[in-house]
Amino acid sequence: MESLGIIFALFGAVLAALSAGIGSAIGVGMAGEAAAGVVTEDPNKFGKVLILQLLPGTQGIYGLLIAFLTLTQIGILGGSSDITIFKGLLYLVACLPMILVGPWSAIRQARASVASIALVSKRPDQAGKAIIFPAMVETYAILALLISILAVTGIGGLNI
Amino acid sequence: MAVLPMKHIHIYGLKRDRKQVLEILQRRGAVQISDDDAEDHVFQKADISVEKMQLEKQAADIRKAVEILDRYIPEQKSMLDALKGRRELPVEQYEKLRKEKDEIFTAANRLIELSGTISECNADIYRLQTQIEGLVPWDSLDLPLSFRGTKTTAAFVGTLPGEASREELRRILTDQAPEVDAVHVEIISTSEDQTCIFLLCPRSDAGPVENALRSMGFARPSFTSDIPPARQTQEWKAVKLGLEQKRRAAREEITGFSGQRVNLKYTLDVLAIRTEKVEALGHLLQSRRTFILSGYIPEREIRPAESALNRRFDDLYLEFEDPAETEDVPVLLENNKFTEPVEGVLRSFSFPGKGEIDPTVPMAVFYYILFGLMLSDAAYGLLMVLGCGFCLRKFKNMEPGMRKTLRMFFFCGISTAFWGAMFGSWFGDAVKVVSTTFFHKTVTLPPLWFEPITDPMRMLVFSMAMGVIHLFTGLGAKLYQCIRARQYKDALYDVVFWYMLVGGLIVSMLSTEKFADILNLNFILPSAAGRTGSAMAAVAAVGIILTAGRESRNWFKRILKGLYGLYNVTGYMSDILSYSRLLALGLATGVIATVINQMGAMGGSGIGGAVLFLLVFLIGHSINIGINLLGAYVHTNRLSFVEFFGKFYEGGGSEFAPFAFHTKYFKIKEETQ
Repeated sequence: MESLGIIFALFGAVLAALSAGIGSAIGVGMAGEAAAGVVTEDPNKFGKVLILQLLPGTQGIYGLLIAFLTLTQIGILGGSSDITIFKGLLYLVACLPMILVGPWSAIRQARASVASIALVSKRPDQAGKAIIFPAMVETYAILALLISILAVTGIGGLNI
Repeated sequence: MAVLPMKHIHIYGLKRDRKQVLEILQRRGAVQISDDDAEDHVFQKADISVEKMQLEKQAADIRKAVEILDRYIPEQKSMLDALKGRRELPVEQYEKLRKEKDEIFTAANRLIELSGTISECNADIYRLQTQIEGLVPWDSLDLPLSFRGTKTTAAFVGTLPGEASREELRRILTDQAPEVDAVHVEIISTSEDQTCIFLLCPRSDAGPVENALRSMGFARPSFTSDIPPARQTQEWKAVKLGLEQKRRAAREEITGFSGQRVNLKYTLDVLAIRTEKVEALGHLLQSRRTFILSGYIPEREIRPAESALNRRFDDLYLEFEDPAETEDVPVLLENNKFTEPVEGVLRSFSFPGKGEIDPTVPMAVFYYILFGLMLSDAAYGLLMVLGCGFCLRKFKNMEPGMRKTLRMFFFCGISTAFWGAMFGSWFGDAVKVVSTTFFHKTVTLPPLWFEPITDPMRMLVFSMAMGVIHLFTGLGAKLYQCIRARQYKDALYDVVFWYMLVGGLIVSMLSTEKFADILNLNFILPSAAGRTGSAMAAVAAVGIILTAGRESRNWFKRILKGLYGLYNVTGYMSDILSYSRLLALGLATGVIATVINQMGAMGGSGIGGAVLFLLVFLIGHSINIGINLLGAYVHTNRLSFVEFFGKFYEGGGSEFAPFAFHTKYFKIKEETQ
């Protein structure tokens, strides 16, 4: 029973990388399709639409970040991996913001990116503003990341 | 540092001088010609559409010729070419090119012609190739495909679907047309899809035979020829060869024009200049002997422009006046080398609108700081500094826009290196990983301040403190704007009250033990300070409730609006929280760098391990720089545009767009006709 702790914790870590990664993959893919369409018309817009395509990719990185932090905290990457079942569950819960908000915001951000790519294709001079719209969505991924970071790093010090 | 003051300029002159006047103005590039003077029965604008169309047509031809050259003889381009900027054309070459003008146009036309020939040849060759391939199954037929029989016989040359043998055919024919007996059937070739047959019968039996064949799905070839297939194939091959030669010759001739590329590009530039000049001509008000030109000129350009014009013309009268208060004057910014680079980012938001200050200076300072905090790796920062510094030194002739961008990243790099050193991140924890893996002793580069990953709460507090400073600077800009416009009441209501409210709330929070506990603070403000802060916030809150809705006369409405205005305090909270991205993005860089180093170290300490480490290190860190550079750029923009500008800046000004030389390929000093 005691070893269940590490399983829960690992489950949370892996799920964070997994779900956020899937979300970002879908998002970057969607934006990539739109970007490719624009580049067929005007190859010179490559740089501008590439930035917009990459924006939904950050959630995957945040997921990786949380996964990595958790892995180091629970000792999978060396150190003792003696985690009580409660702590394991806590780690799982701590990963939840990233697990849920990550993929969701990546896909929503991708939709904003697609719209912004359309904007850039028609008004290339407005590229600066076009970047801001998808970046607004990212705020929530960042907030989720923040809570996950604080929670994951905080659990180690608890006495349970 | 500022938005440059603009003046109206009016030039009154004789019509015969108008082209020379325009030429001087275009060369100086100091005047934006405006088009708002109305025509009357004396002064009218010239119709330039014909001339403009002609120029545009010429430019289109030349552009096409350049495209053709680029397609057939691609220019060798390297990544760094974009940094080199437009070349300056030496005067002697310029003179030479002017004389060769007709030749250049002839060359362009010939290029277009040749490209047409090539595409025609391509189409013909393709058609012939399909026909030759279609004729392959007929190769052994010694009669032409068009052969329909003799006086007494009827011939059927064509295909049947599917594979069929001679016997099978004969059997079906006798079934379908029993009355016919004398039929000669020959199978020319068979394949899985079709059988090519030659069938001969007496002319009198042609009807029933044809019907029988039809029922089997007989079809004559889709193309026909009057000579036997084998000879026809040869003939077509000969024609194809001829076409291929023609195509090759055309290509070679195009290659021969490679020397004209420069001339063509130059001509394109000249045409662009002339088009702009003709457009300017269309904006002039002209009477029979005089003209009027109106526009905007930056104040500092007035004296040089005046002296340049007066030196050349005697019969010219210049008039300058201040623009009206309500007018939407074009904006030209002037900043020093440190702050100027972020003008590009500002442009992508919007230039300052009516009555707004140039936000470049505060924006630039915070831009660099925030960017550095987000990327926050000393080695990455140094790489940026070295890369941008090298390009800036090496390519002196860089276009101004590119130079500004590189300079911006140069400063961002300095800041990144600074914060990276503060937080102890050099390619993440590369030093530690390398020393433990390969030298078996642990060496660390300690952070000058603290390591965010081990103390994220501290970093969070720092991020938010940074946010408060950024936002309060934005409010300060608003205060300055209000005072400059002598709107002292607005300054009090919209700025000072908010300073008091937000500042007071922060102070009172910092004096509570609970809050200090959450944030892990190692200090706590005395409770007297907390009480003062609370009182200040309360006064400000009342003030805001009373004044935020001050445009409403109705007191009830006014209070409601005031309460809504006070609700905006949540906006400040979310603005401040928004700066937590400094922590998140900073950690992202560091943690991914750490992951890369750990992955690299997995191969152990042998030679193989070292090679693996090097590979993973190079590829991984390149990707990490790329991704996080993008992230830092985007989110620094966001913090500037949304949080910072949200406090004082709306933009909406149009950029000063002077009448000047706007060339694509060369810098042209002189342009005479």
